[in-house]
Amino acid sequence: MSNFPDPVREGLQRGWKVLGGPHGALPERITCDVAIVGSGAGAGISAEVLTRAGLKVVLVEEGPLKSSSDFRQRESDAYPSLYQESASRKTADKAISILQGRCVGGSTTVNWTSSFRTPESTLGFWQQRFGLQEYTRAALAPYFEQAERRLHISPWLAPPNENNALLQRGAEKLGIPASVIARNVKGCWNLGSCGMGCPTNAKQSMLVTTIPAALDRGATLLVQTRAEQLVLAGGKAQALHCVAVLPNGAPTTPAQTTTIVATHFVLAGGAINSPAVLLRSKAPDPHGLLGTRTFLHPVVMSAAVLEQRVEGWAGAPQTVYTDHYLETQPIDGPIGFKLEAPPLHPVILATTLPGHGQAQADLLAKFPRTHVLLALLRDGFHEQAPGGRVRLRGDGSGLLDYPLTDFVMQGARRALLAMAELQFASGAQEVLPVHEMARPYGSWRQAREAIQALPMKPMLTKVVSAHVMGGCAMAASEAQGVVRGDGRHWQIENLSVHDGAVFPTSVGANPQLSIYGITNRMAQGLAQHLTGEAPVALA
Amino acid sequence: MQRRTLLKLGLASGAVLALAGGAAVLLRPGLEQGRLAPAARPLFASLGRAILQGTLPAEPGPQARALDGLVERVDALAQNLPLPVQAELSELVGLLCTAPGRRLLAGLAPGWEEARPEEVRAALDGMRFSALALRQQAYQALHEIVGGAYFSEESTWKVLGYPGPLAL
Repeated sequence: MSNFPDPVREGLQRGWKVLGGPHGALPERITCDVAIVGSGAGAGISAEVLTRAGLKVVLVEEGPLKSSSDFRQRESDAYPSLYQESASRKTADKAISILQGRCVGGSTTVNWTSSFRTPESTLGFWQQRFGLQEYTRAALAPYFEQAERRLHISPWLAPPNENNALLQRGAEKLGIPASVIARNVKGCWNLGSCGMGCPTNAKQSMLVTTIPAALDRGATLLVQTRAEQLVLAGGKAQALHCVAVLPNGAPTTPAQTTTIVATHFVLAGGAINSPAVLLRSKAPDPHGLLGTRTFLHPVVMSAAVLEQRVEGWAGAPQTVYTDHYLETQPIDGPIGFKLEAPPLHPVILATTLPGHGQAQADLLAKFPRTHVLLALLRDGFHEQAPGGRVRLRGDGSGLLDYPLTDFVMQGARRALLAMAELQFASGAQEVLPVHEMARPYGSWRQAREAIQALPMKPMLTKVVSAHVMGGCAMAASEAQGVVRGDGRHWQIENLSVHDGAVFPTSVGANPQLSIYGITNRMAQGLAQHLTGEAPVALA
Repeated sequence: MQRRTLLKLGLASGAVLALAGGAAVLLRPGLEQGRLAPAARPLFASLGRAILQGTLPAEPGPQARALDGLVERVDALAQNLPLPVQAELSELVGLLCTAPGRRLLAGLAPGWEEARPEEVRAALDGMRFSALALRQQAYQALHEIVGGAYFSEESTWKVLGYPGPLAL
């Protein structure tokens, strides 16, 4: 238990309307102006904007309500309670592990705070290929500015931890640009525990900002409640059926259900879950687009051992990046990648480093001197990087089928090469590309030869993701998109999607600020549509 | 876990059982109501002894206690998985707990309790580098479960040189 004030528990004491799980039985039926599925980045921003406009809002979250008093900086608490599928969510063929939040605040409660506006090159692609003419840097700027003010997003000015300083020094040695990452924090303690829920409430996640604001304005939050399906008739969503679930997502016995009747419905359960709600609801999909083009920024990693201590667990994660390998080639050419330095903790390290027995024990024993880089591959800009497809398992839950193409895996090879080169430049004694057939290499030359010869196959190459995007793409034409540029569904008039599922490609940067800015614009448009009045800005 | 792999596992289970003498062998689930079945506990102790060789305490008493703790944490981890994932894990573990499943999927001749860690590690490498996706998936699942469950407990951090989080 931390000794910090807990704004969530204080709010509950003030009488916030929170039901589900330990907070009280679900009512049989609820009516409201807007029902929002999810409570993460898109849901939180939408809830605040819509309640500011005077609308009655209900949020439906499958995960639990946990807050700073619960956040003990331990993976053993955080992964089972705050992440989808206990942080072991996988793609259909198990070749990619997906870290995605499942709790109030969604992934914003557990992310590493990296904040980037949508890159201009990505917006340009959306304009050209998806007709999204209004998606210009200038048109979006006010919405990003509001989100940045609301969530205290600014460049991290404290010195980087050693894990990030190594990225900076290596880039300098190679003569490539590296920059400081902006973070959504206020009074950050520089603990490095962002991924396990911020124990000091410094991280300006939805959990401590927009969701409390919406609840203070009378919104209702249903937790441990899964949105099962929309009742569709006459081109409109009539109601949303929900079911109470246990901590592992299984329905409670006896079953508890609730029906939400709303004027408008907003899906913001994240890519994978938002398309899954529409698939379960048998939503019209005349062009076969629903669930397709789901992107992951597939990530490959490189571990280095330094002479000095690195202590990758300590200090703010991901405070330095380089886009050199994104910006030095055309966006629709060979797949580019962004380099960052993630936080390191025992479970994530032991499950990521390959091998077993003494060989793995030797790697693990060097944990304090271990530095890790990751490369986020920018998928969705080339016909051979079309992303994956969300489908439903037998029990109705969403499952992402994401084949790793040779085109993507060749990018992974270039990324392993780039990371090894940079790590040797920053003084690494040895570098281990995270691949089942690799071993630690003592020089850049040795590593280069080995990486060039590695079979770049899924399962042998460790691939992970923390950024799920797409599946309900927005586009200016019905033939290309599930939703319009303003988030409204092309076929269902009172339904919108406000989350990362609307992105027609990957973002090419950590997506949280893209979601905040773009859904801020969508939510203000929706508020105006529903109230007939000029929208209230987020901040 | 996913339908296609479940089906693939189903087919593999069927093939394994047919080779072993048809319906005479009954495949028991590896999880019962989300908890490890009795036969699954020595399986994970054996996997732990092999995968964590070099990391586990060397003395027999502390090592046995560390492995008991590992099995308890695998049990807790399984309970918290979504039902479709539990079903898939149950099938994998159930299959590995039959002699024909152990021989064909893991390539291990002796039983899990009798096998030396070196034999289990050789079997694990057989799965890890297999050309069959199913065997690779099985290796990755077991590696992740054992490593994740083991290092989720504070008492294991010393060997990593990890001091634990800053007390607030």
